[in-house]
Amino acid sequence: MSALVRMRLAGFLRTGRAVAPLLAGLLALGVLYGGGRAQPGEAYGVSAVVLFPVLAWQTKILLDVEPDVQRRLALVLAGAARERAAGLLAAVVAGLGTVAAGLVYPWLVGGVTSQVTPGGRSLAAGVALGVWAHLLALPAAVALGALASRAVTGSAGYGVAVLALGVVGTLVLGLSDSVIPWLAPPVMSTARAAAAGPSGGTLALLSGWGVAWSATALAAYAWRRRVRV
Amino acid sequence: MRWEGVWLRYHRRGPWVLREASLRLDPGEAAVVLGRNGVGKSTLLQLAAGVLRPTRGRVVDRPRHVGWVPERFPVDQPFTVRRYLAGMARVAGLGGSEADLAVDRWTERLGLTRFHGVRLPELSKGTAQKVGLAQAMLRRPDLLILDEPWEGLDAAARELVPGLIGEVLASGGSVLVSDHRGETARLPGAARWAVADGTVTAQASAAPPADALVVVEVAVSATRVAGTVARLRADGHHVLRVRSDAAPPVGTPAALVAGELVAPVAGEPAALVAGGASASGTGEPGAAAVGGPAAPVAGASAVPVAPIGGPPGPADGAAVPVALPISGPPGPADGAGGGVPASGPAGRVSR
Repeated sequence: MSALVRMRLAGFLRTGRAVAPLLAGLLALGVLYGGGRAQPGEAYGVSAVVLFPVLAWQTKILLDVEPDVQRRLALVLAGAARERAAGLLAAVVAGLGTVAAGLVYPWLVGGVTSQVTPGGRSLAAGVALGVWAHLLALPAAVALGALASRAVTGSAGYGVAVLALGVVGTLVLGLSDSVIPWLAPPVMSTARAAAAGPSGGTLALLSGWGVAWSATALAAYAWRRRVRV
Repeated sequence: MRWEGVWLRYHRRGPWVLREASLRLDPGEAAVVLGRNGVGKSTLLQLAAGVLRPTRGRVVDRPRHVGWVPERFPVDQPFTVRRYLAGMARVAGLGGSEADLAVDRWTERLGLTRFHGVRLPELSKGTAQKVGLAQAMLRRPDLLILDEPWEGLDAAARELVPGLIGEVLASGGSVLVSDHRGETARLPGAARWAVADGTVTAQASAAPPADALVVVEVAVSATRVAGTVARLRADGHHVLRVRSDAAPPVGTPAALVAGELVAPVAGEPAALVAGGASASGTGEPGAAAVGGPAAPVAGASAVPVAPIGGPPGPADGAAVPVALPISGPPGPADGAGGGVPASGPAGRVSR
C-alpha cells in the first residue's frame, strides 16, 4: 500500500496541483496572524479552523489528480480496500505537511508570543493544545475532501458543492448557539476550548466527537466507493 | 470464475446494461467477448476485473491476481514509463529488485526500452497501449482481461498479444478479451461470449475438424535425430523440418505454448494447410481463419526447411517440429489432401 501512497503523493506534487491549496493556506494564515501576537493555544485554535477548508480542498485535489482509469487499475492490482486506504493515507500525509507548516508559520512571522501571562498556560501546553486542535481537524477535513472527490460525486460541480456545503456547515453548525453542533466536526468547539483552556473532560469529549464524526464520514466514503470506482 | 445472475446498470433509474448474465470461465480457458460498440463489452470485462460491482447477482471465484488492460490507457500522469511501471509493480506486490526485473523484462519484450525516460503524456497511442499491457503482465496474472488490446498497436506489436495470452493460459490462468475487429481469429480455442441487448450468450469454442493438425516441437539429442525422425514417420507423423537451434524461432514460442496452431511451413505440402490457411495459395498472415484451429500465425510461416536427416549442425540438440492431428492418431489425411476449403467450417475473415 505504501507504493500506492507514494505514487499518489508524487502525482499530487509533480503536477503542481499542491501549489494552489498551499498558497491559499499561507494567505489565510497571513491574514490570521497579521493582527499581532497572540497566545499559542488561542492562535492555533483559530488556525485549525482556518486550515480546515484548506485541508479538505487539498484532499479533494489529491484524490482527483489521478485519472479515473488509473484509479481502477490500482484497484485491480492492489484490491479495493487498499486502493481506498492508500488514497486517504496519502491525503493524511499531505495534510500533515500542511499542518506542520501551519504550526511553524506563526513563529516565523511573529504571530504568537512565547511570553506566559500570569495565570496563563505554559508555552508547551499552548503548543500541545495547538497540535491537538490541528490533528483533530485533519481527519475530519480528509473525510470531507474524500466525500467531495470525483470518485464519489462523479462530477466536478457536485464535488465543489459538497466541499462548500461541508465547510460552511462546519462553521455555521459549530457556532456556540447551534442546536445541532454534533452534525459537524468539532472544529469551532475545539477553537473555543483551546482559547479558554479546556478541562480534561472537555478534551476527551471533543476528541471522541472528532473521531466519531471522522469515522462516520469515512465509513460513508467507503460505502459510496463500493459502487463508485 | 463464475457470474451468477449478474445484472448491472450505472444509475438507479438507468437502463440495464447487463441482464441476468450467468457465465463461467475456468483456469486455462479463454473467452472472447464480441458485440457492437456500446453493447456492454467493457462493462462485462470490468465486472470480471472487480472494477464494477454487479447491481444484482454476483461474480465469484475471481482469481487472486488480475491483470486488466483498459481500452484506453490513462496517459495523463506525471510519470516516465519506467517510473510508472516500477510503481505499478510495487503496487502489485512485487519487491524492489523483483519489480525492477519485471519492468526490465516487459519493457524489453514489448519494445518499450527506449521509452523508459519518456513521460506518459508524450507517448503515442500504440506505445501507451503497450505500457498498459506491460502493467498488467508485471505480475503474472491468474486472470488477464484485455479490452480491445489491439487498438492502436502496429502490426508487429499486434503479434505480441496472442503470445501473452498463450503464456497466461499455459500457466493455468484465464483470459478474457474483447474484440470487434476480428483479431481474435488468432485465438481459435477461445469460447465466444456474444453481448447484445443486455444479454450475454456463451458459445463453446468450436471443435477442431477431425483432420486438423497441430505442430509439436520436440528437442532431440543430435546423435539420435535420424532415428527419432524415422520413428516419428513410422508412427504416421509428419516431420516438417529439423533445425539445429533448440530455441524456437522468434514469434513462435507463445503460439506453441498456447497450443495454437501455426501456419504452414514454406515448401512443405498440405500437411499443415488444414483450416484453409493457405487455401488461397498465398498463406498471407493478414487472412485468418475464424474459429478454426489452423489459423496462421504471422512470423511462424516461411521458416526455411532444413533437409530432414541431414547433419544437425554443431548444436548439442536439434528441434523437430512434428505435425499431428489435434485428437487421435494421425489419419490418412496426413501429409496431403488435408486442407479444408476456405468456405469450410473455419470460414475466413479479412481484417
